[in-house]
Amino acid sequence: MKMIRNSVLRVEGMTKRYGQKEVLKNASLTVNEGELKILIGPSGGGKSTLLQCINFLVTPDAGRVWLKGEEIIRTHKRALYAYRQKVGMIFQDFNLFDHLTALNNVTIGLVRVRGMHKQEALDKAVYELERVGLKDHIYKYPAQLSGGQKQRVSIARALAMDPEVMLIDEPTSALDPELISEVLAVIENLRANGMTMVMSTHHMGFAREVADEIVFLEDGCILETGTPDKIFLRAECERTRAFCSKILELYGNA
Amino acid sequence: MEELFFIQHDVIPALWRGLLVSIRLIVPSAICGLIIGVFIGVSRVFGGTVIKTCANIYVALFRGFPLVVQLFIWYFGLPHIGIYMSPFLASVFGFSLCSGAYHSEYVRGALLSIKQGQLLAARSLGFSKMKMIISVVLPQAFRRALPGCGNEIIYLIKYSSLAYMITCIELTGEGKIIASETFKYTEIFFIVGIVYLLLTSVASWLLHRIENNLRLPGFDHYAL
Amino acid sequence: MPVTGKHVVDMMESVAAIKEALPYLLHGSVVTMGLVCGAMILGLTLGIFLAVGQVYGGAVLRSVIGVYVWFFRGVPLLVLLFLFYFGLFSLLNINLSAFTVAAIVLGLISSAYQSQIFRGAIVSLPEGQFKAARALGMSDRKSIFYIILPQALRLSIPAWSNEYSIVLKDSAVAYALGVMEIMARAHFVASRTYEHFPLYFTAGGIFLVLTYLGTKGLGILEKKVSIPGYTR
Ligand SMILES: Nc1ncnc2c1ncn2[C@@H]1O[C@H](COP(=O)(O)OP(=O)(O)OP(=O)(O)O)[C@@H](O)[C@H]1O
Ligand SMILES: [Mg+2]
Repeated sequence: MKMIRNSVLRVEGMTKRYGQKEVLKNASLTVNEGELKILIGPSGGGKSTLLQCINFLVTPDAGRVWLKGEEIIRTHKRALYAYRQKVGMIFQDFNLFDHLTALNNVTIGLVRVRGMHKQEALDKAVYELERVGLKDHIYKYPAQLSGGQKQRVSIARALAMDPEVMLIDEPTSALDPELISEVLAVIENLRANGMTMVMSTHHMGFAREVADEIVFLEDGCILETGTPDKIFLRAECERTRAFCSKILELYGNA
Repeated sequence: MEELFFIQHDVIPALWRGLLVSIRLIVPSAICGLIIGVFIGVSRVFGGTVIKTCANIYVALFRGFPLVVQLFIWYFGLPHIGIYMSPFLASVFGFSLCSGAYHSEYVRGALLSIKQGQLLAARSLGFSKMKMIISVVLPQAFRRALPGCGNEIIYLIKYSSLAYMITCIELTGEGKIIASETFKYTEIFFIVGIVYLLLTSVASWLLHRIENNLRLPGFDHYAL
Repeated sequence: MPVTGKHVVDMMESVAAIKEALPYLLHGSVVTMGLVCGAMILGLTLGIFLAVGQVYGGAVLRSVIGVYVWFFRGVPLLVLLFLFYFGLFSLLNINLSAFTVAAIVLGLISSAYQSQIFRGAIVSLPEGQFKAARALGMSDRKSIFYIILPQALRLSIPAWSNEYSIVLKDSAVAYALGVMEIMARAHFVASRTYEHFPLYFTAGGIFLVLTYLGTKGLGILEKKVSIPGYTR
């Protein structure tokens, strides 16, 4: 009962084909309020595709999405744009707007999409950038920032839109090891503040420590879902066990 | 009916005549232009200081002056120093010199893109400078210069219409004459335009075919 | 050739002829620049629409634009000038001056070339830029206007500067319609004073200067709007 009451995002039967190849097969998941759901699985398993299908950046061949109980009809442009505002997205390779300063990367959505006044947007953007620890870098352009700083700007950009749920796609995989922790710290902080998130990552230590639930995705299929302990220690599925033991072997018992 | 008769008996023969003149303008100009372009391009890369400077000045002038100005210089200017050319000859002369300057840019770029290591290798095999240019550098440079030079020839097809401005009556000129006689400007110039369109399209189709046939395995990775 | 008294006199006459004609020719450069600016602005506006349509439009729109570009890149300027000035516009009972027609035709041709410049720049942008814009809830139109074009136009400046020098030189063909630009004036004076060489060279020299000034100006613009730290 509790689960249904608190569900923020519900995805059902997500399917995506590229030509003959089915890269996402009938994937379904429900994300509850304040929950951090982590997608794991081998490279090419379909994590990015699933996340981008959720806010229709990639057009799925089949599948339905509900946000707070309301179904999103992809062909209703207005509703789609409104929905995307409420779903923050963090990309693997940041995708900051190269021609705008960190500050304007954050304000552009507020001004051009939400129609906020310039000054109000600036104040909010400065606040969000401070929150991710970039107070001193607000006037820099993306090309002048480090990878970790860029990813934090992109988090601030998404947060500024006051999203109800965040989709985070391997936020650290394009970063040097020493920059990873600064981004993960921001995400942990978000979770502590009750943000609802779906995140894909190869960072198993982090997944195990902070995830509420882990989803194992391979070849476009959700093979298993469960708490970190269940997935890492008592996985039911053979493939999950194999993947986890390989990872543990590689990175130790982090 | 009368219309059809008119088209068959006046328009088509006149435009056909013009087309032949245009082709007679384009073909020699293209060939001479290419030769000049290769010559100038090679001088700009491998020449001594004096030759290089002269070639650079040539290119700057001929690329900087509008083609109309150049044609006027050859046709209206030269007689003042006792050199007389027919409109046709002046056009071919003007087109060749101008397109040679443009070709040389592509030739130069292609030559410069060839890796220094290959030249060292050729020298170490005992090639003379001339032999090296002919058997190592040019065959490679040719492939790299081809798209640019081919484009230049397509431009030449279009710019050949400017011969009309120094009274060489080619396709555009013939079109202008019948159009003024019949006042059917729109129809006639539309047909003339289509003929040029066909010429340029055929030329660019040929160019693509040649490019594809000459493609070396893995060579496009180094494309300019 | 030994320098004789006659040569010196000739030379002085030439210099005098240039000096006398220069203000008249320079006035022509105002006309030329009017043609070029009109054409470049028309070409820019149309070219942006064509490029966006060609990249993001549906199959029908894309092929219509393809035919437009093919036509205006494949037909000579002179033929188009005649077609529009003597033909189309008078057929449609539109009375336009030779200057206006020349600017329009130069602009239409330039729009075809410019569209290819912008198209190249747009497709060279990483796909993530568009995705990120849409992820914020921007409509396609807003994404193109606020995210794609500001970047694509910056990247296009060097090619645009080259296009400027081509349009500038092509504008001399407007002489065929009797537009009193630099070339027309040079020829007009030359056929009265018989100083062909000096006058044509002066005209060519003015074109060289205009090319230089224009590309220099655009180079400054490129630096001014360049994104700090951004390289490709
Ligand atoms: N535009 C596309 N065209 C064709 N195939 C694609 C396209 N995008 C993704 N794929 C394929 O879909 C599959 C899933 O890709 P996806 O990017 O979702 O994997 P992933 O789990 O995010 O992998 P990684 O961990 O490497 O990011 C891959 O096999 C990929 O080759
Ligand atoms: Mg991925």
